[in-house]
Amino acid sequence: MAAATRTAPRAREIFTTLEYGPAPESHACALAWLDTQDRHLGHYVNGKWLKPERRNSVPCQDPITGENLASCLQAQAEDVAAAVEAARTALENWSTLPGARRAQHLTRLAKMIQKHQRLLWTLESLVTGRAVREVRDRDVPLAQQLLQYHAVQAHTQEEALAGWEPMGVIGLIVPPTFSFLEMMWRICPALAVGCTVVVLVPPASPAPLLLAQLAGELGSFPGILNMISGPTSLGPVLASQPGVQKVAFCGAVEEGRTLRRTLAGQGLELSLALGAESLLLLTEAADVDSAVEGVVDATWSDRSQGGLRLLIQESVWDETMTRLQARMGRLRVGRGLDGAVDMGARGAAARDLAQRYVHEAQSQGAQVFQAGDVPSDSPFYPPTLISDLPPASPCAQTEVPWPLVVASPFRTAKEALAVANGTPRGGSASVWSERLGQALELGYRLRMGIVWINAHGLRDPAVPTGGCKESGSSWHGGPDGLYEYLRPSGTPARQPSLSENLNYDTFGLAVPSTLPAGPETGPSSAPPYGLFVGGRFQAPGARSSRPIQDSHGNLHGYVAEGGAKDIRGAVEAAHQAAPGWVGQSPGARAALLGALAAALERRESALAARLERHGVELKVAKAEVELSVRRLRAWGARAQAQGHTLQVAELRGPVLRLREPLGVLAIVCPDEWPLLAFVSLLAPALAHGNTVVLVPSGTCPIPALEVCQDVATLLPAGLVNVVTGDRDHLTRCLALHQDVQALWYFGSVQGSQFVEWASAGNLKPVWVNRGLPRAWDQDAEGAGPELGLRAAQTKALWLPMGD
Amino acid sequence: MGVPIFITAVTNCCWIGADNCVILGILGTDLSWISKVQVNHPAVLRRAQQVQARRTVKKEWQAAWLLKAVTFIDLTTLSGDDTSSNVQRLCYKAKYPIREDLLKALNMHDKDITTAAVCVYPARVCDAVRALKAAGCNIPVASVATGFPAGQTHLKTRLEEIRLAVEDGATEIDVVINRSLVLTGQWEALYDEIRQFRKACGEAHLKTILATGELGSLTNVYKASMIAMMAGSDFIKTSTGKETVNATFPVAIVMLRAIRDFFWKTGNKIGFKPAGGIRSAKDALAWLSLIKEELGDEWLKPELFRIGASTLLSDIERQIYHHVTGRYAAYHDLPMS
Repeated sequence: MAAATRTAPRAREIFTTLEYGPAPESHACALAWLDTQDRHLGHYVNGKWLKPERRNSVPCQDPITGENLASCLQAQAEDVAAAVEAARTALENWSTLPGARRAQHLTRLAKMIQKHQRLLWTLESLVTGRAVREVRDRDVPLAQQLLQYHAVQAHTQEEALAGWEPMGVIGLIVPPTFSFLEMMWRICPALAVGCTVVVLVPPASPAPLLLAQLAGELGSFPGILNMISGPTSLGPVLASQPGVQKVAFCGAVEEGRTLRRTLAGQGLELSLALGAESLLLLTEAADVDSAVEGVVDATWSDRSQGGLRLLIQESVWDETMTRLQARMGRLRVGRGLDGAVDMGARGAAARDLAQRYVHEAQSQGAQVFQAGDVPSDSPFYPPTLISDLPPASPCAQTEVPWPLVVASPFRTAKEALAVANGTPRGGSASVWSERLGQALELGYRLRMGIVWINAHGLRDPAVPTGGCKESGSSWHGGPDGLYEYLRPSGTPARQPSLSENLNYDTFGLAVPSTLPAGPETGPSSAPPYGLFVGGRFQAPGARSSRPIQDSHGNLHGYVAEGGAKDIRGAVEAAHQAAPGWVGQSPGARAALLGALAAALERRESALAARLERHGVELKVAKAEVELSVRRLRAWGARAQAQGHTLQVAELRGPVLRLREPLGVLAIVCPDEWPLLAFVSLLAPALAHGNTVVLVPSGTCPIPALEVCQDVATLLPAGLVNVVTGDRDHLTRCLALHQDVQALWYFGSVQGSQFVEWASAGNLKPVWVNRGLPRAWDQDAEGAGPELGLRAAQTKALWLPMGD
Repeated sequence: MGVPIFITAVTNCCWIGADNCVILGILGTDLSWISKVQVNHPAVLRRAQQVQARRTVKKEWQAAWLLKAVTFIDLTTLSGDDTSSNVQRLCYKAKYPIREDLLKALNMHDKDITTAAVCVYPARVCDAVRALKAAGCNIPVASVATGFPAGQTHLKTRLEEIRLAVEDGATEIDVVINRSLVLTGQWEALYDEIRQFRKACGEAHLKTILATGELGSLTNVYKASMIAMMAGSDFIKTSTGKETVNATFPVAIVMLRAIRDFFWKTGNKIGFKPAGGIRSAKDALAWLSLIKEELGDEWLKPELFRIGASTLLSDIERQIYHHVTGRYAAYHDLPMS
């Protein structure tokens, strides 16, 4: 037949220029879905849409055209309460189901997403402005994989996670810049282990609401996933609802800090995932072209929410900058729903943030390279490369926003480590080097949650993702993601223990004076115990001692009155001892713990006698010593089995799940079980490679100090430091210390609250008992896996292979 | 968007030869160009996956791009049963690759769209030259040579093969390299051989086939590409089409990066020719956007980019038919090649 004409007038022109044309992805189905809601979105609670009246609403706009797509309700406190109530009701059934049933439900949800994936990706791309390719080819498949992976975990839960139970209702707070996938990373493990979830999504983000609707339309278990749309400021309201056991927050560092302070003493767990900046370390032994693609993956492909700090070895600086700038020239910025763009728009807030950073950097003398001409009034922001930013400038300290890359040179791998580890951030990093030894050295020594070798931004449901330092120490994915929503069986549920009138400014600030405490008996007065710091007993800075009484009220002895300066010295000593101890093999650590156990055994009668003076029956005292000896040996052996290799579907090569020491761990021991609790806490901490600063029992510190006499001869100096004195004061000093990496506190309700509040400073992970006693003589509480989990941090090291 | 181009002056080599052909006088220290190279295999694989998913062209753009792709094709027949009749048919198809009425519908009939060349075995060069002359066009004839496809013959006969093909009228010679020299790391020997090919070609263009499926690693692909360019190739070509692994994206990315590095070092643009396994119009579009992304628009012309293919053309014609008419073509709607 003759060719009927549907002529293309521009074909001639394109034939010459070979330019890219628009490749729009139809978003008709997204609009049709919004129409089913009359362009008016509410909350999704208990399997139904909830659209209460008399609420403010905010418009949901296309970030590129500014067109109004729908209006979204802003929640008020009562809506949050309704959602939590629904989640509580659903919890009764959901948490007691066999794991296999939950697995089935999660699999059904994965299928449901598969059926409606086009709707999901067009809606997400339309509203967030992100490149549709990234949502379609990565986020949506990953969301399904997450559900499937966690379905498998639910299936094996009874067997693999015996001794743990679901926490209860989980509150999840997601900030506006994060994609629905960040929510899935947290929802999936929570649902899998039997928790139910209330998500506070930012207003004007319909994709999470759609997901909730898809889950709701499965019919059964409607209340397990509830969405409330409202501002982050409703977070404390969500947290204060009775029944909420844990709040998981991801977002900006300062918001996380504020939330940490607000929720202190509320009796719930808080996990934080903060900041979005990433790091890329490019050595001279790298495949530079591939590393440049790594930079694109990290910032300029709509994959991550944050910017990138780029460290380049000086010898390849020029070459890298040339290639980077050439590559930037080929990036395409445009409407997210176009199939051929690399970067979409992220809304006015993100653009203004980037703009401000660039202006500030320029004013501080930095060089700025931007590819392409993006008019300043357009919704887009071009890929931006900043160099020559003086390291001491204020700008260099703040987090790099999307879509910026801040490049700076380094001379040696050692210097690169110092620079990379010298920031408060500990999220993710990649190392580019073809030299295996160098790459592994850098990968192991970077203090980051995730390290990729010769790749950037890979994710998999089986690999834990998280961070350390101020990036928050929460994890999702892999085994670590499951433990975030579990607690040891039998843990008492949340009890509000908030003391409204606790004054954070004065708690433990002043030390009550110690006065002579009655007549000294015996032929010669006993010399006071010193502080055990840096491997020897020292006199306290305050040069005063506090009397310790036995159970009859008689004077038992004097211990040193430690203060802020002594804590400072102890933390310093612990830091000095850390590299040596971390470098020891687990076997060597176990041997030393074994030696300490043997020494304790030899000292048994003396220790038992000390305990007896504090009103413990001799038989019980002996048992306490014996049990302490066993704990030391057991932890030495347990810490040998650490970390493992993970298999990842799409990656050739392993991912190592490393368990690394936290650093300097401060432990405030409980008053009860003065020897056993001290040893039970000390042993896992040491076995996992931490160095410790301990505050022993306040009423009976002497057994702990006796143990230190053996520590002095057996363990390296500074590894264990014991400071006696006023517990509140010492707790204050430790909790506010910025260079203490973690804190365990067993003491009063007020102390726990203060510790939680003060931990916001360096966002150290804390473990507090909220005034509740613990059965240290029972293995479940005194030596359970929980201690091992808390005594180390995870790191995922990706090692792609191939030649 | 402007691409900054940095050209480093090369001081230790002298330039001989005309137009696109570069001959480096001294190799010596230039081995440093390949000694430090690092190619990370998994990272290149990821890039290869991405580059295919990140660009797409639709509607008029697709039609125009496909017509452009036609002008890059080295229309090829390399079979044991080639005779003058099917070579003649191939040559005619090279001259009229797309049905005239389809081109008219696109207002492209006066653009003189032909394939870039016709590629045959040395023994068929005469047939091709005669057929093209009869068709009244000056499409170049390319001949494979040097013991194609394995290259396992004596150097003397390999060089003679080039001379004979040139005598017969081939203006482009696709030579295969001696893979054993790559696998044993004899880079200077490889350089010398290709230099001799270059001399034997005379005025004809030299396209060097690296047979990347047999080089063992991507690092070797990069090194062989660089040596081939230093020795004066006008094009570097992925494969013969006879190996088990042919033109793949990862290999192409490495070769294109080598071409770019060579350009940045010397200021000379060397062409690139993927061959083998490129069958669908969609593949062709992906290859075009790969060149555009890695090297830029200036490489998108027949002097610097070719696609070695035999069945690709008919699929492109089918897509053009669909674009123009809105219908899918029957087998008999399009003339065979």
